[in-house]
Amino acid sequence: MTLLDVDDVSIVYEPRGAEPVTAVRGATFSLEQGEFVGLVGESGSGKSTLGFALTGLAKAPARISSGRIAFDGTDIAHLDGEDLRRQRRGGFAMVLQSGMNALNPVRTIANHFADIFAAHEHVPRGRRRERAVELVEKVELPASVLDRYPGELSGGMRQRVAIALAMSLDPRLLVFDEPTTALDVLVQRAVMDTIIELQREENFTAILVSHDLGVVLESTARVLVMHDGVIVEDGPSARILTDPQDDYTRMLLSHYADPRAEVVELPGLRVAGSQISTTGEPPAEPATDAAPSGRAGTRTGRTRAAVVLDGVSKVYPPPRRGEDPVTAVDDVSFTIEPGDALALVGASGSGKSTIAKLITGVERPTAGTVRLGDTDVGSLRRAGLRRLRRDVQMVFQDPYSALNPLHSVEYTLMRPVVNFGGLRGREARRRMLELLEIVGLTPVEQFAAKLPHQLSGGQRQRVVIARALACDPQVIIADEPVSMLDVSLRAGVLALIEDLREQWGVSLLFITHDLLSARVVTDKILVLNRGRVVERGETAQVLRFPEDDYTVELLDAVPQPGRAAD
Amino acid sequence: MTEKQATTRGETAGPTEPAPSGRDEVPDGGADVARVAAAASPLTVLGRAAGTIWSVPKARVGLILLAVFVLTAIFAPLLAPYAPTDNSFGRAEGGSAAHPLGTTTAGEDVLSQLIYGSRVSVLVGLVAGFGATLIAVLLGMSWGYTRGFAADVINFFVNLFLVIPGLPLMIVLAAYLQGGGLSMIIFVVVITGWAWGARVLRSQTQSLRSRDFITAAQFSGESSFRVVFREILPNMTSLITGSFFGAATAAILAESGLSFLGLGNTAMVSWGSMLFWAQNSNAILTGQWVLLFAPGLCIALLATSLTLINFGVDGLSNPRLREGKGR
Amino acid sequence: MRYLLRKIGLLLLTLWAAVTLNFFLPRMMPGSPTDAAIAKLAQNGPVSPATRAAIEAQLGVPTGNIWDQYVAYLGNVLTLDFGISYTFFPQSVSELVLTALPWTLVMVGVVTIVAFVLGTLLGVLAAWKRGTFLDSLPTLTGTFTSAFPYFWTALLLLFFLGYVLQWFPTSGAYSPRATPNLSPEFIADAAYHAVLPAVTILITSLGGWILGMRNTMINTLGDDYVTFAEANGLKPRAVALKYAARNAILPNLTGFGLALGGVVGGSLLVERVFAYPGVGYLLYNAVTNQDFPLMQALFLMITVSVLVANFIVDVLYGYLDPRTRR
Repeated sequence: MTLLDVDDVSIVYEPRGAEPVTAVRGATFSLEQGEFVGLVGESGSGKSTLGFALTGLAKAPARISSGRIAFDGTDIAHLDGEDLRRQRRGGFAMVLQSGMNALNPVRTIANHFADIFAAHEHVPRGRRRERAVELVEKVELPASVLDRYPGELSGGMRQRVAIALAMSLDPRLLVFDEPTTALDVLVQRAVMDTIIELQREENFTAILVSHDLGVVLESTARVLVMHDGVIVEDGPSARILTDPQDDYTRMLLSHYADPRAEVVELPGLRVAGSQISTTGEPPAEPATDAAPSGRAGTRTGRTRAAVVLDGVSKVYPPPRRGEDPVTAVDDVSFTIEPGDALALVGASGSGKSTIAKLITGVERPTAGTVRLGDTDVGSLRRAGLRRLRRDVQMVFQDPYSALNPLHSVEYTLMRPVVNFGGLRGREARRRMLELLEIVGLTPVEQFAAKLPHQLSGGQRQRVVIARALACDPQVIIADEPVSMLDVSLRAGVLALIEDLREQWGVSLLFITHDLLSARVVTDKILVLNRGRVVERGETAQVLRFPEDDYTVELLDAVPQPGRAAD
Repeated sequence: MTEKQATTRGETAGPTEPAPSGRDEVPDGGADVARVAAAASPLTVLGRAAGTIWSVPKARVGLILLAVFVLTAIFAPLLAPYAPTDNSFGRAEGGSAAHPLGTTTAGEDVLSQLIYGSRVSVLVGLVAGFGATLIAVLLGMSWGYTRGFAADVINFFVNLFLVIPGLPLMIVLAAYLQGGGLSMIIFVVVITGWAWGARVLRSQTQSLRSRDFITAAQFSGESSFRVVFREILPNMTSLITGSFFGAATAAILAESGLSFLGLGNTAMVSWGSMLFWAQNSNAILTGQWVLLFAPGLCIALLATSLTLINFGVDGLSNPRLREGKGR
Repeated sequence: MRYLLRKIGLLLLTLWAAVTLNFFLPRMMPGSPTDAAIAKLAQNGPVSPATRAAIEAQLGVPTGNIWDQYVAYLGNVLTLDFGISYTFFPQSVSELVLTALPWTLVMVGVVTIVAFVLGTLLGVLAAWKRGTFLDSLPTLTGTFTSAFPYFWTALLLLFFLGYVLQWFPTSGAYSPRATPNLSPEFIADAAYHAVLPAVTILITSLGGWILGMRNTMINTLGDDYVTFAEANGLKPRAVALKYAARNAILPNLTGFGLALGGVVGGSLLVERVFAYPGVGYLLYNAVTNQDFPLMQALFLMITVSVLVANFIVDVLYGYLDPRTRR
């Protein structure tokens, strides 16, 4: 039985005082009752816009300009007000991307349910509490959450509550818009499992809107791929995995790989299995003579120094009175030899970002020492920190927040060149253009004049990398440098990072929760859990033959299109 | 290397996905984000801001209204038919060809007084608004950079100044400083008028300084001075403009109130003192309603023009408040 | 509970700061307010040493230990001993202030609450019906009326409704022949006299509340929980009130507490125009007669009233926002 029939739907954005933009063009597909379908596309593909339209939530400035959305025979594309509202019970529901903000902060969870029951009068007053308990139990939450306020729940719990609320409408169609994107890696996995289970048990029709083809292929039986507002591919997951019809789908697929594989290949990147493990040597202390010639000095001829952490702990004072102090980093020791690349992996709260702050001197260790060569980073004062920044640079997670929106690329790159390089005028400008060339932003003159909002996420991240390189540092700390980028842009940035390390001999501390990217750019890895090192060694060795349960858990969280087929 | 270049070229700055319900980002809404590539010198930032404000109809009306008042104040001697203190005319006359708005009980021309009166209000608004904003910027930004106990202490004082009723404090200060004239009034208005702006600018400073680009600037070896003035300040243009117009409005209303109570220099012709004299000469009993109506209307219009401009300024910092149908 | 205790602590600290400010104000001023005051008082007859001491405690002695003065001043404030007024000689300052205070508190208090509630409701409506007539009319009118100087609105109402149409009394808080008591007749008479001042404050302050609520509500309408509530098919009225407005009221309440000082200030001017015997009119008389002890005491009382009102708003906020209960 066909539940949803979408026929030639186009959606335009008509913002006031700006050109209209067509976000969705001629979308046509239909869904059978009980199907679980993925809707995949990268940012700007129009997938969320379509998702909103399917649940009758398209609002000004978005407008369904043509086509029919027939839900169980009724065209809902042009339904309005009360008629549309009545359709929602037993009809279509939606779970928003930011489930954390989808709950009213001043109402208890029980009241959220009561509001929905009252709006549709489909649960008698006396049975409402009972029904609410049933629903939260379906999403694996205890009944006690009903009396809590949203602010008292964790992000994952809030997203589960949002799912339970959507379920309370007894929907026949449920659209999940990036339901796990805003959550921590390990929580993502658990919430996704709950969704898959629910769909199987309740047999509602579901659409999973996601930017991540890997997640979608793993969970759904059929996939629609969107690109630039057009559905370019529509087929069973298994077939898309083995025989994608569209070039775009093929390109997306090429960006997935299993970090456990012997050979990992991404566009522009290829790493083979660990050599050390084949020779049988213990993957313990990094070999001191590992640095090849040419890595001994920096471009400007300074000697390279190692980053050494010795028994470092960082304890923060209790967040509220009467609570315990927070131990963010607990007795961590490691060394990054010149030219080495070390991955620091763990879920959020594992202390990996705190370690970055300790190495950059933003925070001081509570115990132990952080050294760069002969410098004790923990004891540096203002002037010393300034000197340290010549040697230690950062690449930030969010390229949208790491560039001042008001400064041109030229200004942003000139500052460190002038401040650290001592160059002035034409020479400084030449160096700035050279940096753009190095990070592959050509034609350089054109990119120099641009402002951040005129660049894509990947291009911004390249500017951020160029800025970090400007003072010819010894160490670059990259904090989740690709996690905010579209999947297809990640490999390019990773390849650039890898290339820089090889060409310039910069040491790299690569902080991430994503084991695939850790695998392709680093030699050694440190797995952190709650501030403690739980596993360490050669990256390939650790990822292929993990020993700690936590590492296994992290590995399982990496989306692998192929897994569903297994 | 070739593959890498290919991926580089593959990244084009496609249009960002319009937010699902058109809430957070209006795709091409303009605002603080510039359309043209240019370095962010404070002047260009201001220029762009002005352009955006002008595009809001309400703000445009406000700007025109404000321009009329400012021009009147500048060219008062050319526009006014008589000197404002010339009391050689008939007393308490109604409107006539010679005196379109009549004369006061002291025999001065009302229209001339009205025209000259604009000078005091415009001047007070400008100077006191500027003074209060300056304090607000300096204090708000350094406060945003302070943590721990010192921040709590500043917080306490700013809140104290926020809740202490401004006008009574002004009245008390003016009573002690009697005879100080216009500069005294400006001083009093500035002292009582900076707190709100300081609070707004502080929270913006705090949210900006936690952004990565500020950390990045420090990592680029920028001095604290440069971080504050080239990275943070230009990003607060709209809020600073907003507090300026807010403070100026408050200053104009406060000046008129103090003058009306006779606490300024009552011999100086301002809209407030015109009302002071009208009340004291019982204009109500003599039925000279123009004398009551006109100066107050001017104050109201001038203050309205600033509030209207702020509608445009609000849109700069808060896209949700931009014009357009919400639902 | 911890929230309440913290707010009480803050109130006490703020009260202390206000009293201290009041102590230092006359002492920081150029010239000697004390001498001026005593000279004024001498016009009414010889100044007794006790009166002189009281004034010195209020306004400062040219010589002497500032710390001792401060302690004595704190004692005076706690016992409400503000000396003798010379404008209304021989009445004591505290007697005058306590007679005037109820008039202002009741009139301004009632009208402010009415204005806030009404303005908030209109603001909710304007935001919900954004872009329609129900939005533009209150928004534009509110923008304009909130730019009115309080005393101007007062003068216009006084002129047209008081003198020309003679619908309402033009001055005072009750008929000249009546004596204040709690009989229904007197209360009706007082209410009749309060209409013009009250309407003035309502007209002038309403716009601010409308605009404030409209803007915060437009923000909350864009929040995800509102979209989600709509996606769940809640009735529009429930979405508007229980979701958008309920959250918008919180920042607006803070704004209310902070704007209170402005309304009180405006009401002083209104009282002056209508010769309404509240603290504002008394303050005006004190200022024009340079009656510094009376002026200081009035300023202190006005400040304390606003601080206490703010405290009540804070407590209400704590009650309305579950996040403060933790």
